[in-house]
Amino acid sequence: MKWISLLSKKRLKLIIYAFFLYGLAIIARLVYVQIIQHEHLTELAKANWDREIPFVTERGNIVDRENEIIVTNKLAPTLYFIPKQSDDIALAARQLAPILKADEAELLKKMQKHAYLVKLAPEGKNITEEQVEAIQALRIKGVYSGVDYIRHYPYGSLLSRFLGFTGYDNQGLAGVEYEYNKILTGNNAAIRLFTDAKNIEMAHVDDEWKEGEAGATVQLTIDLTIQQVMERELAQAMQRYDADQAIGIAMNPNTGEILALSSFPTYDPTNFKNVDSTIYNRNLPVFMTYEPGSTFKIITLSAALEEGVVNLEHDHFYDPGFTMVEGARLRCWKREGHKDETFLEVVENSCNPGFIELGQRVGSQKLLRYIKDFGFGQKTGSNIAGEASGILFSEKAFGPVEHATTSFGQGISVTPIQQMQAVAAAINGGTLYTPYVVSRIVADDGEVVVENKPEAKRQVISEQTSAQVRHALESVVAKGSGKQAFREGLRIGGKTGTAQKVENGRYKDGDYIVSFIGFAPADKPEIIVYVAIDNPKNHLQFGGLIAAPIVGQIIEDVAPIVGIEKSQEQIEKVTVWTDPIMVEVADFVGQTVDEVVQQHYPLTIEWHGEGTIVSEQMPAAGSKLMQQGTLHLYLTEKKHED
Amino acid sequence: MPLLTHHYQKLFVFCALMLTVIGVVFVYSASTYWSSVHYEGQTPFYIRQIIYFVIACIVFFAIIKGPELTEKKLLMLYLFSLALLIIVLIPGIGIWRNGSRSWIGIGPLTIQPAELVKITTLLYLSTRLAKVKSFERVVKLEHFVIVFLPALLIMLQPDFGSVFILVVTAFILLFIAKYPIKLYIFLMFAGVAGLTGLIISAPYRLKRIQSFLDPWSDSLGSGFQAVQSLMAIGPAGLFGHGFLQSRQKYLYLPEPQNDFIFSIILEEMGFVGGLVLLILFAILFYSGYALSIRAYSLEQFYMISALTTMLVLQTSLNIGVVIGLLPVTGVTLPFISYGGTSLIVIWLTVALIIKITNTTGRRSKN
Repeated sequence: MKWISLLSKKRLKLIIYAFFLYGLAIIARLVYVQIIQHEHLTELAKANWDREIPFVTERGNIVDRENEIIVTNKLAPTLYFIPKQSDDIALAARQLAPILKADEAELLKKMQKHAYLVKLAPEGKNITEEQVEAIQALRIKGVYSGVDYIRHYPYGSLLSRFLGFTGYDNQGLAGVEYEYNKILTGNNAAIRLFTDAKNIEMAHVDDEWKEGEAGATVQLTIDLTIQQVMERELAQAMQRYDADQAIGIAMNPNTGEILALSSFPTYDPTNFKNVDSTIYNRNLPVFMTYEPGSTFKIITLSAALEEGVVNLEHDHFYDPGFTMVEGARLRCWKREGHKDETFLEVVENSCNPGFIELGQRVGSQKLLRYIKDFGFGQKTGSNIAGEASGILFSEKAFGPVEHATTSFGQGISVTPIQQMQAVAAAINGGTLYTPYVVSRIVADDGEVVVENKPEAKRQVISEQTSAQVRHALESVVAKGSGKQAFREGLRIGGKTGTAQKVENGRYKDGDYIVSFIGFAPADKPEIIVYVAIDNPKNHLQFGGLIAAPIVGQIIEDVAPIVGIEKSQEQIEKVTVWTDPIMVEVADFVGQTVDEVVQQHYPLTIEWHGEGTIVSEQMPAAGSKLMQQGTLHLYLTEKKHED
Repeated sequence: MPLLTHHYQKLFVFCALMLTVIGVVFVYSASTYWSSVHYEGQTPFYIRQIIYFVIACIVFFAIIKGPELTEKKLLMLYLFSLALLIIVLIPGIGIWRNGSRSWIGIGPLTIQPAELVKITTLLYLSTRLAKVKSFERVVKLEHFVIVFLPALLIMLQPDFGSVFILVVTAFILLFIAKYPIKLYIFLMFAGVAGLTGLIISAPYRLKRIQSFLDPWSDSLGSGFQAVQSLMAIGPAGLFGHGFLQSRQKYLYLPEPQNDFIFSIILEEMGFVGGLVLLILFAILFYSGYALSIRAYSLEQFYMISALTTMLVLQTSLNIGVVIGLLPVTGVTLPFISYGGTSLIVIWLTVALIIKITNTTGRRSKN
């Protein structure tokens, strides 16, 4: 019998301590894995367990300022297939193929994929509800229909070059849809299937519903009615003048909110694949830069008045039809010249030499500073995708000739939105507002994510100067080159513009952009409208003749919407022999089509809707219309009972 | 027999029983889905585990009531188990499973000779060590032969887990038996050198080490089990998902009732449940060592120390793998993991420890 030595016992204890330390290491490791890394590993495990059938949540709507829906969604489910859950994939494919109008062999190949979940696309993507019902009736194992949507445009091509469109997976590809894609896209909901690692669904465990969130709603400052009026007028102009392009903007001059924004030609956003990318990628009011022409004279006028270098009523100017600047002969648009005129008449006549004189009185560096203060030469910050900044002369290159041409709007390049921004400041009391088109972004839960407020950049001219500018521009419409925009009882002010297009550094002969920028009422402007028609044909190419009447018509039609009341204090219109004869419109409401036709009324009548009885008319009875103007009559089937 | 020894014996068996019951319960939870998919229509694993436990109890009492273990009998048992190790290598008798030939089939029963040989080797080595006279040099070639003969045979199957446990336990036993420290320092260097040599000779081993250090780098390949185990343990947190609520047992973690059953326990019962299990193991091992320290003879001391160390080592290895402290090696968790041979041999070990304390105690009385 031998005794255990102390050394052996000591060594055994050493071993026990070592094991004890190892035990502590185990506990430390468990603390690390189960407590410190708990959340991280939970995420990873969830991703590993996730077997989800996506339920696509709705993409956010795009609405106008009155919350009228402009773009929304239509239910169009998508099919999913879980191969492991099917007993007979070949049979399933044979049953599905005719309903989906798909090639059976190709479908079968897709359904035999080694994946837990196969999206049956494109065959089963965005199918109709009838198809879903037909498939559900077959009770095919492993086939699931997931909620899915396609974009729906209730107004078709309206505003399309601004709104853009979405692609195959409802992702925004152009315009607002692209720019605000992240905001409009929701978090998809899903049915979470409880399956084992081999994707077999477990019968005894209930499936979970994973909450999703619909995309946020983007509210625009656009007013749908104003937009519709503008697009109607521009569409007519495109047709009448066989124009290349047309641009229109309407804005609240006191806030910078854009009320209407249009580019022609338009396109159908559901059919973007067949449209040239230059159409949907170019939102003309912010993209296109060109010589502004005479509309730019408003800037020169504002600068001259603010600097106090002219008295419009008393100072006179003699226009022989041209001005010599450093040996260059700069001509007036009127070959024989306007002869002796007051400076108010210089504005009314849009007299080029007169504006050169005004520009010279202001001084070249000062004029350039005003131009920059009015926001030209840089982006307006409207946040509309694809905005250009235009081109100005640099201070160095701004010699006397450049100074002179700039005074009447030539030799520089600006965007329509810059002109709007600047002219709005000139007439609203002198404050330059950043134009904007998105007013609010509201999340699915009602939370307002973004709220845009009017943003005043700076005071460019004084309120008094602005009042003089308004008066001068009202008189342009009442007496001068903007006469075609005149409307009885509406105090419209404005300025025409005609600019030759520049191509490769040269003026293109016979190719003009004619424009008009108008606002109303002249004493306290509520709306400012700009229209430009690119290369109108079959007509004299002057802004006063083509663009002014369109702006006049738009302002007249939308006046009740923006709250403009008829005024008695209008500047008297000067009637010349070229002026159209005005016809007072009779009351047609309640009459039958035959009755109307038999009156041989001296107006072009445009019929809207179907039926035999006139339910509404535009303009209203009692208002005056040019003899060659158009009367819109809306028809219904039944006579009003009253 | 002193009261304290008796007290530790009871504590030792009590812990072993508790662990076995916990094992059956979690074999039920872990295996139900796995067996319904892979062994449809067969006797459920937990029922079989209960049957194995009944057999284990019979073995336990047979050993306790059986004849005393003399050195001669131990030599015979040692040689017998070596013979089994040779038989298992013969094609037709040895059964291939998971890439190694470790099982012998006798009718419906399959046994793993390696499990048995660990015990017989350690017991026989203990008697040989106890025979060394106090004035003699303790290091003897014979000791190495006793250990490496079965180790080499197991290597041929191959079953690295068993070899590792056998060899390391034997060296700990030699350490306790006053083998010189120099040998262990030398072994440490040799081990590092050998490992380096192995890695240089076959670069895939480096990859295996990499996948141990960062199992996520190859979470579908070599790191698969480690990653799946972490994804069971991590999300469980403090209290776990609750009994039967494991998610990873649904085929994510392969054979959840075997080597990785501790993952499922941690997943369902959380950190707290894991701690309870660890404490039970700790008490068991402490009792084992307490019994060996209180032994009356050197032989008894060596035997109980060796058998207890073997249990500790196997448990440590398994838990270390499950929680990602050690690279994956196929070792079961004593008492808990599903498996007939494993459970019976573990209980044989328990029985031997009790038997040895009894036997020598009685002998000292005589």
